[in-house]
Amino acid sequence: MEKTKKDLEDLKKQFEECQKQRDEYLNGWKRERADFLNYKKEEMEKIEELIKYANEELLLKFLPILDNFELAEKKLSGDFKENEWVKGVLNIKIQILDFLKNQGVEEIKCLGQKFDPNFQEIVEDVEAKEKESGIVIEKVKKGYTMYGRVIRPAKVKVAK
Amino acid sequence: MAKIIGIDLGTTFSAMALVEAGQPKIIENKEGARTTPSVVALTKNGERLIGVIAKRQQVTNPQNTIFSVKRLIGRRFSDPEVVKDKKLLPYELREAKDGGVEIKMGGQWYKPAEISAMILQKLKQDAEEKLGEKITEAIITCPAYFDDSQRKATKVAGEIAGLKVNRVINEPTAAALAYGLTQKKGQQILVYDFGGGTFDVSILDITEETIKVIGTGGDTHLGGDDFDQKIMDWLIKEFKKEQGIDLAKDQLALQRIKEAGEKAKIELSTTMETEINLPFITSDSSGPKHFYLKLTRAQLENLVEEYIKKSINLVKQILEETKLGVKDIEEIVLVGGQTRMPKIQEEVKKLFGKEANKSINPDEVVAIGAAIQGGILQGDMKEVLLLDVTPLSLGIETLGGVSTVLIPKNTTVPTDKSQIFSTAGDNQTSVEIHVLQGERPMAQDNKTLGRFILDGIPPSPRGMPQIEVTFDIDANGILNVSAKDKATSKSQSIRIEGSIGLSKEEIEKLKKEAELHVEEDKRKKELIENKNIADNLIYTCEKTLKEAQSNPAVNGIKKEVEQKIEELKKAKDGDNIEKIKNKTQELSNVIQKIGAELYKTNQEKKSGKDDEPKSEEGEYKEKK
Repeated sequence: MEKTKKDLEDLKKQFEECQKQRDEYLNGWKRERADFLNYKKEEMEKIEELIKYANEELLLKFLPILDNFELAEKKLSGDFKENEWVKGVLNIKIQILDFLKNQGVEEIKCLGQKFDPNFQEIVEDVEAKEKESGIVIEKVKKGYTMYGRVIRPAKVKVAK
Repeated sequence: MAKIIGIDLGTTFSAMALVEAGQPKIIENKEGARTTPSVVALTKNGERLIGVIAKRQQVTNPQNTIFSVKRLIGRRFSDPEVVKDKKLLPYELREAKDGGVEIKMGGQWYKPAEISAMILQKLKQDAEEKLGEKITEAIITCPAYFDDSQRKATKVAGEIAGLKVNRVINEPTAAALAYGLTQKKGQQILVYDFGGGTFDVSILDITEETIKVIGTGGDTHLGGDDFDQKIMDWLIKEFKKEQGIDLAKDQLALQRIKEAGEKAKIELSTTMETEINLPFITSDSSGPKHFYLKLTRAQLENLVEEYIKKSINLVKQILEETKLGVKDIEEIVLVGGQTRMPKIQEEVKKLFGKEANKSINPDEVVAIGAAIQGGILQGDMKEVLLLDVTPLSLGIETLGGVSTVLIPKNTTVPTDKSQIFSTAGDNQTSVEIHVLQGERPMAQDNKTLGRFILDGIPPSPRGMPQIEVTFDIDANGILNVSAKDKATSKSQSIRIEGSIGLSKEEIEKLKKEAELHVEEDKRKKELIENKNIADNLIYTCEKTLKEAQSNPAVNGIKKEVEQKIEELKKAKDGDNIEKIKNKTQELSNVIQKIGAELYKTNQEKKSGKDDEPKSEEGEYKEKK
């Protein structure tokens, strides 16, 4: 009788242990499942973001080429500017700018505005008469945003 | 439970990471960057800027833009390092009442720890924004040579920022943790850390109880920035030599040269030659001038040779100091962006005669290690179920001796995968399932794990029976392969143990073999695939001919088809891929004629019956 009672107790203990373990495993599994679903959601959000900005790297590498194009235009001497061939080539630049616009890329406007470190980087401050200190007086390199996010800050000179 | 983040509070850049689902990952800052410049500034309007935006206004506000504060933290004003740095830093320093250093920013005096706290606070806020939860605890790293006072000040900085600093750990220790090198006891690890502004070398001794730093050395004023400066100076010199114009005073030109130099340095880590192309760099009376120059990797290496040599000498020096030989160092870890330079990796390898650990992004490895330390403290690293992956691909042999993969390598187990296969011949009543392991495309080159036969398939034309093959690997790595005939539900299976537990050497050997034979294997596989296509076509054509025997319209073409079949059969027995392809195409062309004829006769029969309009025959004739 004593033995049976003890056996029963042992079994009961084992049973409780098993139940406890089962709950633990089930919870672990549920957690893992939930973690996975949450992870999937997060990944989807990340992918959406990635797609939106997928071209950023490529465009960043492309922008210096456009910089040089614009520099070439700036350095054109007067008589060249009226040349029809040159005008044709410069129309290609307009095409490039249109293309960038379609990709959500916009130039950061800064000339004559107060310096804003969120969008611009100072390369030099120079004496400028009649200009308030901290006003952008020259754009050394154009800056761009992509869907509102700065992908390249403008490099500027400001008035001392 | 709130997460513990790991922070690498660097001299020039800082980074942060945390462990999520057992894996460490870098947290991006608000600007979307993985590292944040360790710069704090106060504008004239009293606005406090931190990180990249502080850096952007540095030029006009040098007295109030604080960088490299790590050089000052926890030091005494009279320390020789501080005396030296004082001359180099553009902002004002003074001695604090307690003998420490104070920094002037915007008319107020701050302790270095307070400036560091501002950086930490930004990191904390950005992380909270990214993760959507409060961050209250952190592990912060510091150089191995930091003394008690410097460590304490680092901890205080964290506390000012509202973080409970669980530990301040050594940067080299964090790097070793990131690579999981601290588990093997009784070894010495050397950490070679070439950052933007400093070079540190440390030796760690991993014992049963502790990770002890047994030696440190380096140069606090040697870094990647020196490389950039050297390249820039050289470019200016070259241009002067060529055009006689000094670009050093032209801000715009300097800016472009600086960027081009940095870009070239980065590119030369992966290519042997790059070009510096800066059109309209300047102009003189004769017109615009362009800067075009080719820079080779060898040229760059020559330019910066002295720096690399210096670093290697410092490594040798610390080995001497610790009385260790190169043979005593079991692992080498590379840290810092500059270690991406192949020449540096080569020199380190030459010295130690073995490859260094460099697979983790060297700018992020310290933060990753700090996050892992946080994960260990929190129990995150233990809690995660460690699941194995299949080291090699698993599959079966299919028509022509091709190895068809069912479970690709690096798949996390437990997992299962099923695919339907069929017979290769008419009236085939049994199939052999040959289970293979390996990356080679041909079955004979892979390892046989087992084979079995499924028989009792009802006789039927080839391609008709549906045999479902299932691969199932359980959490213990035991592979169960079963094959089931869908028509009769008859099945057979095999149990293979140890499909995962290959030794490291065995896996490496098999992987190397696959790499070695990649070209040859590609050709072999292409040949078999084309042979299989040819075989299929021959079978279809013979069947079509048989079926069309009674149709008189086909008789005219029949001979031509038979001849083409014979030609293709002959080509198929050879190994000339091009020939098999051509002959397949030829046969495919003539067999289409039969198809068209049959279709035509069918249509005629049909239209005779219900007077439907005829469809245009020509549309189908030439379709391939």
